[in-house]
Amino acid sequence: MDAADFVNLLVSALLLAGIYAAMSVGMTIIYGVMKIVNLAHAGFLMLGAYYVLELHERLNIDPLVGSVLAFPVFLLAGMLVHWTLVKRIPVSDQPTLASLLLMFGLWLVLQNIGYLIWGSSDRSILTSRTLSSMHLGPITIPTVRVIVFIPAVCSLGLLEFVLRKTWYGRAVRALMQNRYAGRLAGIPVEKMARLTFGVGIGFAGAAGGLLAQLYSFSPDFGHGFLLRSFVIIVLGGLESFWGAAAGALVLALVETFSILVLPAGYQPAIAFSLLVLALVLLPGGIAGIFAKKHRWA
Amino acid sequence: MAEALLRVEALDAAYDAVQVVWGLNLQVQAGTVTSLIGSNGAGKTTTMNVIAGTLPARRGEIIFRGEDITTKPPDLRVGMRLSLIPEQRQLWPRMTVEENLLLGAFPRRLRGKAKENLKNIYEMFPRLGERRKQYAGTLSGGEQQMCAIGRGLMAEPLLLMLDEPSLGLAPMLVDEIFHYVRVIAARGVTILLAAQNANYALQFSDYCYVMESGRIALEGRSEKLRCDHHVRRAYMGAAS
Repeated sequence: MDAADFVNLLVSALLLAGIYAAMSVGMTIIYGVMKIVNLAHAGFLMLGAYYVLELHERLNIDPLVGSVLAFPVFLLAGMLVHWTLVKRIPVSDQPTLASLLLMFGLWLVLQNIGYLIWGSSDRSILTSRTLSSMHLGPITIPTVRVIVFIPAVCSLGLLEFVLRKTWYGRAVRALMQNRYAGRLAGIPVEKMARLTFGVGIGFAGAAGGLLAQLYSFSPDFGHGFLLRSFVIIVLGGLESFWGAAAGALVLALVETFSILVLPAGYQPAIAFSLLVLALVLLPGGIAGIFAKKHRWA
Repeated sequence: MAEALLRVEALDAAYDAVQVVWGLNLQVQAGTVTSLIGSNGAGKTTTMNVIAGTLPARRGEIIFRGEDITTKPPDLRVGMRLSLIPEQRQLWPRMTVEENLLLGAFPRRLRGKAKENLKNIYEMFPRLGERRKQYAGTLSGGEQQMCAIGRGLMAEPLLLMLDEPSLGLAPMLVDEIFHYVRVIAARGVTILLAAQNANYALQFSDYCYVMESGRIALEGRSEKLRCDHHVRRAYMGAAS
């Protein structure tokens, strides 16, 4: 492998990491505030993909704009799901079986709604940029990957800003770190949970729209991405956004560079192997390594 | 006597099947310091949490400012200016001191005044001002307690409940923390103080309740209880 190949792979890994991070952040925020592993995440990724497809085909709305438009719609849908279903689960500081079952069941329902409406055939979103590519010296990058990377990273930046600088964002971080203290400080936990569930689903919908521009999809879409999201947030230490971003980067790098040594057929095994390794070697995630150094109380 | 700021009546509290507080009656008069003493496991923390709303009351009533708040969620109680500074500080370790303090003013009514209140807190606790950009988890025990008190004060409480503010602190720091408690009381904040350290509690409070295995065993004006034979022997280390 020469240097150009290496840089090519590196760039495509970075671009992949951006979309992976945007895809997993919705799960991270929901887990952090509510300690619910959102297994229905895949279902909302899938719905986001079809949402963008329908907007594109019926109203001729560009899929990028469609992905952005998915956020508010899925945010409201998420709040509705919380208000009707999720809030009925007893609140816990640990993931409960009840919440896993509920979210798994919701995923099955969403999937089958998908089959009812769109059937089982594979769909994809084709635009003028789907097959074009950019050349930077010896490096060749598919245009659509760059186009998708930009809103993914922007949305992460925006989320980071909200988490640092707004009352809502600070309260989210507080509830992640100590829910009890949050209640004592007068943070309305249920309202916050509803809004946060909405934000998490909003991110899932938008990320689904972005993924739909890279891959073909069916109502079964999202399986692989659910697993990847899960690996990413475990790598990241479950509650840290920077950890999740680092986890996304690690997964993207490993997946991309594995083609040098592994046949493509083994690709799905990579995420699983990383999950096992992370659980055995890094129970605190990547964020945990730094936490130990500083000995935070 | 005027209506008490806080009145707790016939309160039962339990964690699932284990009942820890039995028929507790307690009153806190506005403008006073009331203490709740008792050994470890007597039910002081449970009582404080039920009053703050983080643990539901199984039976009984909690009346604050003449209003029944027994079933109100904790955020509404904070909104009514009732705050608890919990045992073990309970800060957010990976947020800065300033963020910790600011979140004490989360209820909407307080947000406009947050900047001004923050300045007052830094005046009262200059050490927090020096460390405002530091993560709360990196503070020393005494500083963490100051941060927790500051966070509670950001909500402009009428009644401030302090649960074991001196727990795990060196004797010198205990003096310092109680100095601050006195300053806060002198500003007109009503205080309910739970402590194992009866010496301090009786010295600082006007009225005192003694809790033993989930019940009020004894109550009275603090200067009286200081001389009480049973209290001296059980809680103040006097020889029998």
